[in-house]
Amino acid sequence: MKNPLEIIKVKRAEAINRILGRGYFSTKRVYVGMATCEIAAGSADVMEIFQTAIKNGLVDVYLSQKGCAGRCNLEPTVEVIEEGKIPVKYGLVDAGRAHEIIERHLKKGEVIEEWVIQ
Amino acid sequence: MGDSVTTNQPIEKRPRKQVEYNIILCSGPSCLHNKSSELYTEIVKQLEAFNCQSKVEIILSGCLGMCARGPIMVINPGYILYGDVGVNDVHDIIKGHIVDKTPFSQKVIHEDHLFNRFYRVFGDVKFFGKQMRIALRNCGIIDPEKIDDYLSVRGYEALAKVLTDYSPAEVIHQIQDSGLRGRGGAGFPTGLKWKLTADAEGEVKYVICNADEGDPGAFMDRSAIEGDPHSIIEGMLIGGYAVGAKKGFLYIRAEYPLAIKRLEKALTAAREQNFLGDNILGSNYSFDIEIRLGAGAFVCGEETALIQSIEGERGMPRPRPPYPSVRGLFDKPTLTNNVETWANIPVIILDGAKWFSTIGTKSSKGTKVFAVAGNVENTGLVEVPMGTTLREIIFDICGGIPGNRKFKALQTGGPSGGCLTEDSLDTQVDYESLAKAGSFMGSGGMIVMDDTTCMVNVARYFLEFTQNESCGKCTPCREGTKRMLEILTRITDGRGEVKDIEKLERLGAMISKASLCGLGRSAPNPVLSTLSKFRNEYEDHILHKKCTTGSCQAMLTYSINDQCIGCGACIRVCPVNAIKGIKRNPHTIDSELCIKCGECMKVCKFRAIDRV
Amino acid sequence: MAKDSIVTIYINEKEYKVKEGQTIMQAADSHGFKIPRLCYHPKLSIEGACRVCIVEVEGMKTYAASCACPVAEGMRIHTNTKELRRARRDIVELILDNHPKDCHTCERDGNCELQRLAYAMGIRHRHFEGERKHYEKDLSSESVIRDPDKCILCGRCVRICSEVQKVNALGYAHRGFKTVVMPAFNAPFSESVCSNCGQCINVCPTASFVEKNYTQELFEKLDNPDIIKIAQIAPSVRAAIGEAFGLPPGRAMHGELAASLRKLGFDYVFDTQFSADLTIMEEASEFLERLQGNGPLPMITSCSSAWMKYVEHFHPDFLPNISTCKSPMAMMGALTKTYFPGKIKKKPEEIFSVAIMCCTAKKYEAARPELMVDGIRSVDLVVTTREIAWMIKSAGIDLVNIKPQDFDAPLGISSGAGAIFGATGGVMEAAIRTAYELYTGETLLDIELASLRGFHGIKEAEIVIDGKPIRVAVAHGLGNAQELLAIAKKDPKRYHFIEVMGCPGGCIGGGGQPYATANSIPLDEECLAKRAEALYAIDREKTIRRSHDNPDIQRLYREYLGRPLGQLSHKLLHTHYGAKLPRGIIVGGGE
Repeated sequence: MKNPLEIIKVKRAEAINRILGRGYFSTKRVYVGMATCEIAAGSADVMEIFQTAIKNGLVDVYLSQKGCAGRCNLEPTVEVIEEGKIPVKYGLVDAGRAHEIIERHLKKGEVIEEWVIQ
Repeated sequence: MGDSVTTNQPIEKRPRKQVEYNIILCSGPSCLHNKSSELYTEIVKQLEAFNCQSKVEIILSGCLGMCARGPIMVINPGYILYGDVGVNDVHDIIKGHIVDKTPFSQKVIHEDHLFNRFYRVFGDVKFFGKQMRIALRNCGIIDPEKIDDYLSVRGYEALAKVLTDYSPAEVIHQIQDSGLRGRGGAGFPTGLKWKLTADAEGEVKYVICNADEGDPGAFMDRSAIEGDPHSIIEGMLIGGYAVGAKKGFLYIRAEYPLAIKRLEKALTAAREQNFLGDNILGSNYSFDIEIRLGAGAFVCGEETALIQSIEGERGMPRPRPPYPSVRGLFDKPTLTNNVETWANIPVIILDGAKWFSTIGTKSSKGTKVFAVAGNVENTGLVEVPMGTTLREIIFDICGGIPGNRKFKALQTGGPSGGCLTEDSLDTQVDYESLAKAGSFMGSGGMIVMDDTTCMVNVARYFLEFTQNESCGKCTPCREGTKRMLEILTRITDGRGEVKDIEKLERLGAMISKASLCGLGRSAPNPVLSTLSKFRNEYEDHILHKKCTTGSCQAMLTYSINDQCIGCGACIRVCPVNAIKGIKRNPHTIDSELCIKCGECMKVCKFRAIDRV
Repeated sequence: MAKDSIVTIYINEKEYKVKEGQTIMQAADSHGFKIPRLCYHPKLSIEGACRVCIVEVEGMKTYAASCACPVAEGMRIHTNTKELRRARRDIVELILDNHPKDCHTCERDGNCELQRLAYAMGIRHRHFEGERKHYEKDLSSESVIRDPDKCILCGRCVRICSEVQKVNALGYAHRGFKTVVMPAFNAPFSESVCSNCGQCINVCPTASFVEKNYTQELFEKLDNPDIIKIAQIAPSVRAAIGEAFGLPPGRAMHGELAASLRKLGFDYVFDTQFSADLTIMEEASEFLERLQGNGPLPMITSCSSAWMKYVEHFHPDFLPNISTCKSPMAMMGALTKTYFPGKIKKKPEEIFSVAIMCCTAKKYEAARPELMVDGIRSVDLVVTTREIAWMIKSAGIDLVNIKPQDFDAPLGISSGAGAIFGATGGVMEAAIRTAYELYTGETLLDIELASLRGFHGIKEAEIVIDGKPIRVAVAHGLGNAQELLAIAKKDPKRYHFIEVMGCPGGCIGGGGQPYATANSIPLDEECLAKRAEALYAIDREKTIRRSHDNPDIQRLYREYLGRPLGQLSHKLLHTHYGAKLPRGIIVGGGE
């Protein structure tokens, strides 16, 4: 019989497989802050915009929600992460910015510098 | 939150460097000691030598938690860690990693701490630079509603390790060795609390997570639960194993619906995976957690009141002893820790008590989360190693005071804490130092005030809060804070009496020593500390009927100066017809009638209204 | 922790050996100290709320509440420092500052713990006066008036109601300065589960709880020459009223009372002990009937009005077990409106029947519609021991030195059995004396049942009647009663007969008895024991000690009622009860 540590390793492997199955290896991973504070700042709309974009054919993007990292005055926040690149953190993302992030960053690879949290 | 920013405006004032790499140089106390400042100079030199300074940004960070291997530097992307970096190694590292795009393997260290993942994403953000994310390690990087995400970051491995390798007594040793102290505010040694509960006689024991966060402006617990609910559950599971409990209660205020939803989801997922329930992970250990909602009474954050509330009674503190660790929930030995404390537990187990105890100061180990609010540029949730100074938090992390105003005071510990002034800004964050400076660690509320803030009014605000939230059981807190509030209201209304300061001090001293629970004992703190540090403001209010900051409306006098051209705009807006005058002749304000609403001042285009 | 091991402590620098496990207050009490206190009550849980009993303990950052803090080896305690005196003084002043300034017209004037404490703390002027809370009085109950303005939130009422009586009619509401004690959902008392026992009045240090006062109404009736004013006096009133006149507890004053009431203007003074004998005749007969298979067992007594209301709210499933007998007060009331008017050739409408009771719940009972006889109330007005004491004082009657007189015939002679009704176990003892003889035809010789006396919460005994073991049980205080019912529910065959009295100690500890004096505490067991002893002494001194031997009882049956449980008895002396809303919730134990 396996001990708890052995069991947890199996469980972790299974979990990672499931995450990979959800498209984790896409070129770009997008995380939208969805804590109460972020939602209050409007992140639910932002999330919906990303979801709609994926439904409407935006490919090679792994979309996930996340908790609050603590940048209260810059919420809603959105991260775009690409392997081998410094993760890009966008702040004060409203509907307009979300659309632009999709068009410029996700589709064309352009980092929109002025919205990036430093 | 400030006004919303239009889409095209940059969100930060500093111009951003477009870089491909950033180098994070640990400048924690230990690395600084190991001459990381010399390294900085050397890095700049080497970057220039290879002519790649434009694509690299150097960031100084707080402690990266690998002091034994310091000095530490990290190169992003990839969060490649270099340890024992000497001045002579810089050339090889820059050349290898940045010029040749091959990490310099001799100095790469593979030590990996749970919190490193956070910095892989956020390591280059200045706001997070001096922070250290242990309790909030996963907040903002995983999907809190997916147990798979938690599992992928070594979730529940600490539980498995404990069940495989440690006896309950060994777990308690680990926690004791770590030096962790209660993050709810009082700072009682966590390991000792566990041991007392473990040693208490009784078959049935309980574990409680106190998530009844109630300080005004505090949201550390909410964020932690909303961002990473499983780490709290895992902490409780380990605690239950250590003290011999089979049942845990998570007491959370009903005003946190999203946190509750995520907890419920997390509990269900954990049950499905057998992290909760019978014979967890094939062991003999069985444990489950029930959520109990609090109706939002501040006092229910007090341990004994919280226990009564879970029992279905009105939440009112009761005298100790008996201590809850001996006789608590349903009269059984009970271990209560707050959210942040629980969130630290898996880290201590996986990264080791020894490692944990290297972070922080002599008496206070690990990190502390603060919710910084008020007059600072960057409000937010901040987790810093103990020992970080208040100045670093306010100015380096949170960007200082906006609008070129002057820092005036800092309130820590919420309504239980005290005000600290400029002189105390170099105080290190730890339980003893803050208390010595005249405040209190508290659960993590931190309110920054600039020079437009009236300290008497601040004291009144906090006292009004505690008076409203007093459970009403003991006389000093119920009646005493009411009288103090009446005195403060009188002072801010311009009706203060000469003896009022003495009365405040007399009542305050008595209430702090005679009250039944911590709420009452700490209720006078905001008053007593502002009295000791801003006594002149009290005196101005009482003796000169003057509020120098202009915050106390009742004490203001509006008058019209000779800039008045007699346009009559003020006459039209005055709701009480206190302004009289003939057109094109200077007007006057009848101060008897004036209700000090300030409307005249708003409409006057000639700066003809004075307010003193 | 062995409770009998000894530790050394220092109080005000002097060394004392005290028992481990004691609180600082207990230890200090046993060495000549009397730390000022307010919310503390030895029969109730430790509240630690008032903070009057604070002391300094070296090494502790805050003051310790001496009522709650246990002693420890080497503890150095200070009870009387300058700082402490000032803190205690300020605490008591804070209580006063939120308390009406109407001492002179308050019902507790001169007998108020807060007043005494404020005086003792040397509060001669106010520093911190400000807003006072204001809530409406709850006048809805027939028995108990709740005045939140006078409440100092010591929590004794809440604790006695939940811990001793287990009724839980009271709780705290709101927070901070607005905190108030009230029934659930701020329901009027009359619509709550309150049993009207009045124990909240007994333990209240101020006048936040008082009985509904009928003294003025009674004075007016006594002034009316056109009506016949009849009084009846409950057994326990005589055992306690002396305390209201400064006498030590334990002096029975029935003769003095009879004389005083006549001076007050009553035309006839009868004795509730007579109707207690009558109750026994009916109840013993009812019990024997049930024993012979004509009704559910165990049979449970019904004389305590608080108990009856409690059963109706909390245990309606036990209603079939409740004796149908009216209480002695109600039986006497019925006779004063039927049998007696016939004797003096008056109409019942001309009679004004007053009951002087140790009880507040009797006020409620007297108003029960089901106790009416031919559409008229059998008891018109109930006053408590305290109320009659005030009336006697205000009428200028010297109760203490007055020459005792006898009660009036034909409702004034009683047996010893009628007297002991007032103490817990007394009804059972009296009933057994009669039931034994009714059943066997033989006289029970050993009539003092020691196992049914005293203040154990639940007392049990077994009596063999005609070779058949009869198991009886007695509970006093509603909390004990709840436990006894739980036992009876679990094991329905365990008991044949149960006596319950709603108040601790029985009627002698009733909610209408004189307030504790400056040197005693409410519901002090020693005081209760002395009151009980006064009743047992009456019993011992009587030649007639069995209800059925009472010649006037025999005459009553002969002349008027016929026989126990007969048709007229049924009409005048028996009643019924019904389940009441709101249903009480049994908290902890019980089920």
